Amino acid sequence: MSGAKFTEEVIRLAGEEIRTCIQCGTCSSSCSTAHLMDNSIRKLIRLVLDGRKIEALASDSIWLCTSCLLCTVRCPRGIRPKAVVSALRQICEREGIRSRDASFERIFMDQIRSMGRISEVLLSAAYALRNPDAAVPIMEMGIELLSRGKVSLDPGSVKGMDEIERIFREFENE
Amino acid sequence: MDPSERPMRIGVYICHCGLNIAATLDVEELRRFAEMLPNVVVARDIQFTCSDAGQNTIKSDIAELKLDAIVVAACSPRLHEPTFRRTITEAGLNQYMLEMANIREQCSWVHMDSPALATQKAKDLIAMAVAKAALLHPLETESMPVSRDVLVIGGGVAGISAALDLANAGLRVYLVERRPTIGGYMALLTDVFPTNDCSICVLAPKMAEVYANPMIKLMTYSEILAIEGTVGHFRVTGVTKPRYVDPTLCKGCINECSSACPVEVPNEYDFGLGKRKAIYMAIPQSVPLVACIDTNACIGCGLCAEACPADAVKYDQQSEEFKLDVGAIIVATGWQPFDASRKEEYGFGRYRDVVTTLQIERMLNAAGPTRGDVVRPSTGEIARSVAFIQCVGSRDQTVGNPYCSRICCMASLKNAQLIKERYPDADVSIHYIDIRAGGEGYEEFYLRAQRLGINFIRGRVSSVEEGDDGLYVHYEDTLLGKTLMKRYDLVVLSTGLEANSDAEVVGNLLGLSRRPDRFFEIAHPKMRPVEAHIDGVFIAGCASGPKEIQVSIAQGSAAASKAMQLLFKGEIELDPTVAFVDREKCIGCRLCVDTCPSRAISVKDTAFVDEARCKGCGTCSAACPVDAIEMRLFSDEQILAQIRAATAVKGEYPFIVGFLCNWCSYAGADLAGTSRIQYPTNIRIIRVMCAGRVDPSFVLEALRRGADGVLIAGCRIGECHYVSGNLHALQRVEVLKGLLKEIGIDPRRLKVAWCAASEGDILARKIEEFVEELRDLGPVGTELAAALPSGKV
Repeated sequence: MSGAKFTEEVIRLAGEEIRTCIQCGTCSSSCSTAHLMDNSIRKLIRLVLDGRKIEALASDSIWLCTSCLLCTVRCPRGIRPKAVVSALRQICEREGIRSRDASFERIFMDQIRSMGRISEVLLSAAYALRNPDAAVPIMEMGIELLSRGKVSLDPGSVKGMDEIERIFREFENE
Repeated sequence: MDPSERPMRIGVYICHCGLNIAATLDVEELRRFAEMLPNVVVARDIQFTCSDAGQNTIKSDIAELKLDAIVVAACSPRLHEPTFRRTITEAGLNQYMLEMANIREQCSWVHMDSPALATQKAKDLIAMAVAKAALLHPLETESMPVSRDVLVIGGGVAGISAALDLANAGLRVYLVERRPTIGGYMALLTDVFPTNDCSICVLAPKMAEVYANPMIKLMTYSEILAIEGTVGHFRVTGVTKPRYVDPTLCKGCINECSSACPVEVPNEYDFGLGKRKAIYMAIPQSVPLVACIDTNACIGCGLCAEACPADAVKYDQQSEEFKLDVGAIIVATGWQPFDASRKEEYGFGRYRDVVTTLQIERMLNAAGPTRGDVVRPSTGEIARSVAFIQCVGSRDQTVGNPYCSRICCMASLKNAQLIKERYPDADVSIHYIDIRAGGEGYEEFYLRAQRLGINFIRGRVSSVEEGDDGLYVHYEDTLLGKTLMKRYDLVVLSTGLEANSDAEVVGNLLGLSRRPDRFFEIAHPKMRPVEAHIDGVFIAGCASGPKEIQVSIAQGSAAASKAMQLLFKGEIELDPTVAFVDREKCIGCRLCVDTCPSRAISVKDTAFVDEARCKGCGTCSAACPVDAIEMRLFSDEQILAQIRAATAVKGEYPFIVGFLCNWCSYAGADLAGTSRIQYPTNIRIIRVMCAGRVDPSFVLEALRRGADGVLIAGCRIGECHYVSGNLHALQRVEVLKGLLKEIGIDPRRLKVAWCAASEGDILARKIEEFVEELRDLGPVGTELAAALPSGKV
């Protein structure tokens, strides 16, 4: 996909209004996770309009959006910045580009499939094994939470595991 | 002998235009052809018909051959129709007894490679012109005496400027103002950009001049109730509300009465920052200098009446109705500030230290509620850090105002400068999206603000929060790419300008149209800046959109000058090429009332066209279901005669009859000619004033007579010379296509095209495309033949 085609595709998915962006920054300064982002939402839209596909798709910001929609409510041009983020996520998915935390997502899904729910302790442990860098802060926080009784070591169980398996298989068949 | 009793005698003049026509068309053959047409008494070819010699030939023929009508086959009527109208008038004919065949722009110049087909087309064009000429009638231009008085609605700076110019030229002016004083918003401002001179100091002399001018009747605290009539004679009814103070007795000292008054209310002239009494004067420089009692606040204690040394307080004063007869009306109803509390995220109305532009203007004003101090309203202390937030209620679709309010950048630059000059240590920032400083001396003014040490932060503020120690402003510095937060003592919302909702009544009474931004629409967004769509009505100042003071003054003067042109002679000429109603046929269905863009038609039992208002587009005539509305020029019978003449010999296939509107697409076709853009010869163009004039019967007649296709072309949607004529045309075409389908004719044989006068190339391509499409469809009737089982018609 060339730069121009990338721009067109995002516009198709997220709306024509994107072309009218005036780079005012209302979206980014309304954003609750803006301080964690490498590119602000405003800059993401500029990257899209300039056809800078690789930079846009590599941006962490896409995965940090919490879908609170404040950007979309406040945009003076009627643009839906949240829809731009969704479009970029969709294109990433389609092209097999994974976020930095793709391993986390895999562990998350595996646990759901095997237990029908998430166990914070098992999830953290599995993630820490694969990402040794993250192990220390996870353990620190885990100990604090355990001492206050905020997490349980017993994952518990759910009914209808066969239903969950059916959903997974159906998704795989698609 | 009365011309009506004998057959029409027509002279045809075919112009060589040097070689412009004669190089492509066989002029001699055209002359011989014209000679044989019915009613033609003489046909001549002339080297240059527009030359003195050419015109003299026509004149002497009119006299010697007793000609009744003239056909000139030459260039576009948009070029030389006025010339030849003058020619035949000089020879004693009525100017409307002329028809032109456009064989240059729409024939010889656009078909240079096919002289034979072009000559055939020219023959058709001449036959069409002769057919129409045989049905022409003399039309008399009537003049109507008019009132030379002018009503100016609104006493802001635009209205003041208009009133003074008119009065100084010797016209009587009625200046009606809703508030107790004239001066508008300008009278409330502190210093004004780009010179930073005191606003009221430059305005007060003008206000006093209005009061003193014997040609101006000033009516403050008054409103318009009804407007009837049309250009030249608007009958206006209004009312002056009671002030409960006799203006002839009040000396304007105000201290005596207002210090006695025990009631205090927020002062609307300070935008809520200060207070005033129930008996008050809006500003110290009020004109007229007369007190006014606010009946919503007054408790009727009578103390003011006792205190007044001049006995001017009159509790029994009544409202007074007035009636005016004026020739023209200038609408200078101004604007209203955007209600900043609608932008909840900025906290106006919740946080006391968030104020608006108008409030900071009043604070900075030495006569204002803080005597010129810039303070935090919550504490009364001087503000040490001030933020200006731009584009509040402007460039914002979330509040329905996508437009730029044009003056806020400059106003904030100015107020920031004034604060910085008064408090050099203050931290003053302007949060902006774009700084718009286009105007004489404006960029220099911006430069001055930068040099004074004002911070410019690019990025729109997303929200304002109140903390324990001040206001916190959230924004992204888009040039740094960082989301930030900054603390201020005072936040000024640079509120935009909105259309004045109080002016809606006047707008409705006059039938003014509004743009999507709700301001009054002017007749042409570029070329006619102060004219309304309604004859005799002019719009000045912010009534037609946000403007700075200097532009409002210029517009007031411009509107005054337009009104003078209209009324100075004391009479106006009425264009006779208007619509009229056959009252026998009219069924009073009111369809015409709804289609008329000039609001010229009213219905009492039957329809009536106000000829002073009608602009002759003909949309009503096409809309009339019983053909009761006719045009005096471009009549149904004339146009039908042109269609029949065009289709009499179908010399080409595919054969197209085109209806082109005079202002855009016909002009576009002319441009294709002057640009020598070549297109197929297959089209015969009939000029109409508006695409909205095209009656469905014209289309059906053309197809019935063997045209393979019909093209209707008008101005681009949204650019119609008559506002909405092309929309009516479009609507009609949609219905007509359904009808064609029903009777078995391929609806693709009817095509619409919208093209501007500058788009000759687009029109040429449309014609080319249409010819190709029709070639694919086959001759008209093919589809009918195909539908029959025998395969025959």
